[in-house]
Amino acid sequence: MSERRAILEVVGVNKSFGGLKAVQDFNLTIREGDLQGLIGPNGAGKTTCFNLLTGVYTPDTGEVRVSGHRVEGARPWRIARLGVARTFQNIRLFGALSVLDNARLGCHLRVGHSFAGMVLRSVLHRSEERAIRDRAMDLLGVLGLADRAHEEAKSLPYGDQRKLEIARALATEPRVLLLDEPAAGMNPQEKVELRGLIHRIRERFKVAILLIEHDMGVVMNLCEHITVLNFGQTIAAGSPGVVQNDPRVIEAYLGTE
Amino acid sequence: MSDLRHRAASLSPGFVPTAVLSILPVAAVLGIAMLAQLWLAPVLANAGADFFIKMGVDILVAMVLAISLTMVNGFTGQFSIGHAAFMAVGAYTAACIVYYGSYRFYGNANVQGGLVSSMVYGVRDVPWFAWADALFLGALLAGGLVAAGCGYLVGLPSLRLKGDYLAIVTLGFGEIVRVLVQSQTTEVLAEGASVTPDHLRMIPAWGSTLAVDDYITAEAIASAPVWVWPKYVGGALGFGGLPFYTSPFWVVLVAGLTLLVAFRIKSSSYGRAFLSIREDEIASEAMGVNVTAYKVRAFVVAAFFAGIAGGLFAHTVGVQLNPAELGFQKSFDIIIMVVLGGLGSISGAAIAAVIVTILPELLRTPDLLAASWPYGLGGVVLGAGLIGVLRSGGRSTTLGRAVLFAGLLVAGLGLLALWAKGSEVDLGRYRMVFFALALIAMMILRPQGLLGVGEIWDRSFWADLVARRSKGGVS
Repeated sequence: MSERRAILEVVGVNKSFGGLKAVQDFNLTIREGDLQGLIGPNGAGKTTCFNLLTGVYTPDTGEVRVSGHRVEGARPWRIARLGVARTFQNIRLFGALSVLDNARLGCHLRVGHSFAGMVLRSVLHRSEERAIRDRAMDLLGVLGLADRAHEEAKSLPYGDQRKLEIARALATEPRVLLLDEPAAGMNPQEKVELRGLIHRIRERFKVAILLIEHDMGVVMNLCEHITVLNFGQTIAAGSPGVVQNDPRVIEAYLGTE
Repeated sequence: MSDLRHRAASLSPGFVPTAVLSILPVAAVLGIAMLAQLWLAPVLANAGADFFIKMGVDILVAMVLAISLTMVNGFTGQFSIGHAAFMAVGAYTAACIVYYGSYRFYGNANVQGGLVSSMVYGVRDVPWFAWADALFLGALLAGGLVAAGCGYLVGLPSLRLKGDYLAIVTLGFGEIVRVLVQSQTTEVLAEGASVTPDHLRMIPAWGSTLAVDDYITAEAIASAPVWVWPKYVGGALGFGGLPFYTSPFWVVLVAGLTLLVAFRIKSSSYGRAFLSIREDEIASEAMGVNVTAYKVRAFVVAAFFAGIAGGLFAHTVGVQLNPAELGFQKSFDIIIMVVLGGLGSISGAAIAAVIVTILPELLRTPDLLAASWPYGLGGVVLGAGLIGVLRSGGRSTTLGRAVLFAGLLVAGLGLLALWAKGSEVDLGRYRMVFFALALIAMMILRPQGLLGVGEIWDRSFWADLVARRSKGGVS
């Protein structure tokens, strides 16, 4: 148990936008089977961190390694192929496509047949199309969306849209899943369900999870390791118990007397 | 090994059924094309309806253009407004090969084809497929490939641009192609014309047999090297003297294959990747789609089919290939088809291609339109009745409203044509006004286009027409 392989390693990453130091000296290691949290007040730089990990932004300095490969400056699609999948804080589904097609699109990067093979309808094309459908329906089943497979994605209720984003991300067969505020906009009942769901996903898909969350109930109950950001700086990192009692964290959230 | 590959291995279909499914549609298209050429066209010609054959050819060429543009503007959501340029590239490439190639192989530029490209119906003493048909087919493919190459060169740098910027680049490319052709000499090497010093400078080999002011011979044209072909394409005056190869067979074949390829793309994993780019580029890239490469790919495939359509257009009866005809105006005609049909809908683009091609002809010869206004009124009555019935049944009135609207349209156009006939106004000259009005009406009434992103046989389209209204609706 002690020597689980590191999937995602972030060492000393900095990112500024003009004069604003959005993220400073950010360090993070995610190993196989981890379930970690990234928290902080609004504007602390959490989503910027996600964007740095997934290639949307390029770090000014520092290293990001996915399964040992250096990926600073790599395009997002390349990082996705290495096994990093994400959801978005402001949901980014393919609205006009069906729920099933959203999930199926996630499978596309693992496809082995060529464009020409597709036009000619090769054996590999047909078998992979079947496998894609199969996988996508399985994933929709796990997330409880199978009944809505043929509806337009944008017609789904908000909570289901978040679930569909998770299904789509899982379809890419990730080694680490980055969830950006999965509980945002959910009611307490749904939040409890979400916690169960995240546990099930980790067990079933053997995927490490890093989540950004504002809801302390969700984060503290779910995560084994939490990193706290404030104004781009890491002010605490450790188990929920340690983080909760850290004076700097309390100060960041509640202010000083 | 990924889970996908693992599952695919266990779900693999047999080779034989796959091969059958792969080839059957192609064979069907070929069969329909033969049927159109050997049965339908002669029947129409005998009935004196040559006009409909000509119309059909125009429609199918327009369809190929509209469907190819759908792959760029519809699937990937990139706004290209220079599609006619790819058509022009394909047209001139094919025209050079057919015209000068015919001189090389046959010593003249007449049609040498077999039954498949014959437009004198009823003749039986020629083979089905002659070598000249292979020349034409090769020219079409070459035109498509050169256009695809241009698509790659234009797309690679410019598809990193977004929205308006890409539109401007494609517009610029369109103008460059047009101006390049227009600025060439207005000459086509033709038998009987005089040799000029310019010819002898361009084609030194002629110097041994021909002097200035000699007549150009067929042998001389045949000996002109390949690299001077693009020089003598008629420039601003147009490429005259092209043989007319574009028979019903060729247009049905190309349109059928274009439709087939478009549907195969759309219904595949690659097609979903294209559509995902249009829906949300950032999410698409985060899911592992190499967005730039896919945009370029869509652009190249679209350019290929546009190039082939250009080759067909160049060899159509009654067409003189002319750069002015393949400019911005043509690009816009194609965009109108794609937008009217619904961005992303293949069948929508095909239907719109029919409407947009027929409407100007109807306006030009208003007799048919003028006679149709009573049917339009009938449609209005029927639509109103349908709305009543559907409403009392608690169902969506979309179908009724559609019929009512179509009826109003036909009645309105019919009455307009009636008036135009009486006062001798040529409505055909105002076709762009009608298209503009149609676009405006579309943006107000149905902004997603005729069919949106779906296809005409999609369940949701028909379900939408007859569905029970939701409980929240007015009843």
